[in-house]
Amino acid sequence: MELNLVIQIWLASLFTIWIYSVAFRDNDFFKFAEYTFVGAAAGHSLVYAVDNLRRYGWDQLMGGAYLYIVVFLLGIILYSRYHPQYFWLSRYPLSVMVGIGIGLSMRAVVTAEFIAQIKSTAGIKLVGVTDPIQLFSNIVFIVLVLTTTYFFLFTFPKAHEGGLGVIPRIARYGMMAAFSYSFANTVLSRYNMIFGRLDYIYNQWLPLQGAIIALPIVLILLIYAMLPPEKRPWPKKQ
Amino acid sequence: MSGQGKGIWGYLEDIPREVLYAILLVFFVAPMIYPLGLPVPITANVRKWYATIDALQPGSVVMIDFGYSGGGEPELGPMAVVVYKHLFEKEGVKVICMSTSIEGPQLWDKAMAEINPSRYGAEYGVDYINIGYIAGGETAMAAVGKDLRATTSTDYKGNSLDQYPIMDEIVDASSFDLLICYTTGGDQSEGWVRQWYTVYGTPYMCSVLAMMVPTMLPYMNAGQIISVTSGAQAGEMESLVHAPARGIKSADVITLTHILCLAYVLIGNVAYFVNKSKGEVK
Amino acid sequence: MSTTLKKTIPVAIVFVVALLVMMDYFIVTPPTDAAGKSWTSGAVKDLQNWGIILTAFSLGFGAVNLFYFHSKHISRRTPDQWFFSLWLLIVIVIFTAVGVFTGPTSTSYNWIYNASYFALSATVYSSLGFYMTSGLYRALRIKNIESAIFMVVGVIVLAKNAPALAVYSPALAAWGSFIENVITTSAQRGIMIGGALGAISLGIRTMTGRETGFLGKLTEEEKGGGTE
Repeated sequence: MELNLVIQIWLASLFTIWIYSVAFRDNDFFKFAEYTFVGAAAGHSLVYAVDNLRRYGWDQLMGGAYLYIVVFLLGIILYSRYHPQYFWLSRYPLSVMVGIGIGLSMRAVVTAEFIAQIKSTAGIKLVGVTDPIQLFSNIVFIVLVLTTTYFFLFTFPKAHEGGLGVIPRIARYGMMAAFSYSFANTVLSRYNMIFGRLDYIYNQWLPLQGAIIALPIVLILLIYAMLPPEKRPWPKKQ
Repeated sequence: MSGQGKGIWGYLEDIPREVLYAILLVFFVAPMIYPLGLPVPITANVRKWYATIDALQPGSVVMIDFGYSGGGEPELGPMAVVVYKHLFEKEGVKVICMSTSIEGPQLWDKAMAEINPSRYGAEYGVDYINIGYIAGGETAMAAVGKDLRATTSTDYKGNSLDQYPIMDEIVDASSFDLLICYTTGGDQSEGWVRQWYTVYGTPYMCSVLAMMVPTMLPYMNAGQIISVTSGAQAGEMESLVHAPARGIKSADVITLTHILCLAYVLIGNVAYFVNKSKGEVK
Repeated sequence: MSTTLKKTIPVAIVFVVALLVMMDYFIVTPPTDAAGKSWTSGAVKDLQNWGIILTAFSLGFGAVNLFYFHSKHISRRTPDQWFFSLWLLIVIVIFTAVGVFTGPTSTSYNWIYNASYFALSATVYSSLGFYMTSGLYRALRIKNIESAIFMVVGVIVLAKNAPALAVYSPALAAWGSFIENVITTSAQRGIMIGGALGAISLGIRTMTGRETGFLGKLTEEEKGGGTE
């Protein structure tokens, strides 16, 4: 295996172990990995900012679309938000972005998240359904859609009191079940991710020369770093 | 350690997290060292996903959004890889990839290294291409859908699209027969529903993190999305495509760790009720 | 005049741009070209491309904020902090230099990405799995009706998500399907409809200047400029 690949696997595996160590105790190795992550994320964003500006802006400008000078100026003006006196200039490019976002989402949200959903619910059959389980499912479905919509639409206190209080209560039970489903799925998701990283360490790093010996050393150093500073003989706190 | 002096039920009601995590790690590592080969069911959504791709005719063009970040790669990566393999096995199907995630191009390179397209006779620029990361989220989706060539003129490495035969008849969203999205961000998946399915009627399937599946279910129920799967179901897809890889490897681990979770819930509840009956509830 | 420049015109820009984008979708306004597309089509296409470029500019904000915040720690030599801050800024510089000079798809950049960012990102995301385990052990307990529903549904779905258990127990798959396709879908649909109405009203409020959150910090003069 090439040396650069070996070094890459070593680094990636060490970072993985250091990040996981925070589940037990905070320590300086984790902090180092954490700050590396934040720096890498910011650097990566900058790299693609430059790449996107070149590919979607500069190339167009050099190709004769001189109106793009205005866009570049607007983009630079975005950073005036840091100026104590002229911060309001950044509202101009921001307004363009907000306007585009509102226009794009509002033009489709009515159809996609309102009409289509209501249409689909209205199309659920209650009459002529012979299967009792299907009929029960259909009734539950419609009831939960209506009660949940009621829960979010009618938020004034009187709509949740007295006889009407049963509606938001049914909605709460339905949402509890939905959130529980999300919760269980989140566990599945995270466990899959943990498996991915552990599989990497087991199949990519440990087979490398020296890794099997390095693993216990790394773990011992981590445990040492997790000790409270006053219990550590070194480094001494000032 | 908490729980000491309160008896066994007091301890079981409040097991220290270090113990929980250590046992969990054992359950992760053991099946990796000693695989059990436990069975994996194939769910209806995965079958629908497979059937949709299988029904693609020669000449079909598929748009794939590599919209997931490095954080979601362990879950969505295997799904992306196996679907690409399936698409490459289909005669005459063209695949154009873009990214609404800033890490998309790197993750695409990773997936291609795992797939090895030449093994399927697929050639870059003829059968598949990557037009790169486009900033803007829904704005990017709308721009590409409206006029792809006006939005970008280069591939992800900066080479002109004019030199690639795959881009010859690609104009806008109507040039595509299927849209596939892998994403760790709910906004991206919903954005494709709003900007491509709602506006152009492009058939759409998405694979998201398991925790995001609930938010996509109403769209699938309303017929706006053909099939929603989670990356965790990659093993099922690998079984259908007969290409076992990372997805199927996780099945043993997921089964055992979930059984452990059920045990934790049972222990916690039993301990809670026993202590409650003794009047020692926390 | 000051409020006009600083508040009224930006709100007007939001209104005009949003209206243009919506008009392009809903109606065909003359003059149209030979293909029957209205003039708004070309304008919106340009606006969308502008939006991509402006978003690209905004990607730099994270790095700028980090430089501003952490350079203070370095200059003040904050104990137990300044060397981490220095390392963070060094990493930003390394990534940016390699990425900009060799290209984001170059071998060198992919190397540092895979050695650090990818591994860290994947691990940070996955480390939450440990906290989820602690959470489910402590939260999935029957204390009242809501928590009982939470626990019962959680247990069924956890069992269904274990692939082998789902194979050996068809009843589990059936219950899981009911929870997924009936209960969860319907509840999420209700949430979605409520959310959609909220999004529409927020959009209209922003377009008409009643919602000024996107403007950021408002001066006293701007606040008194009749937002309601």
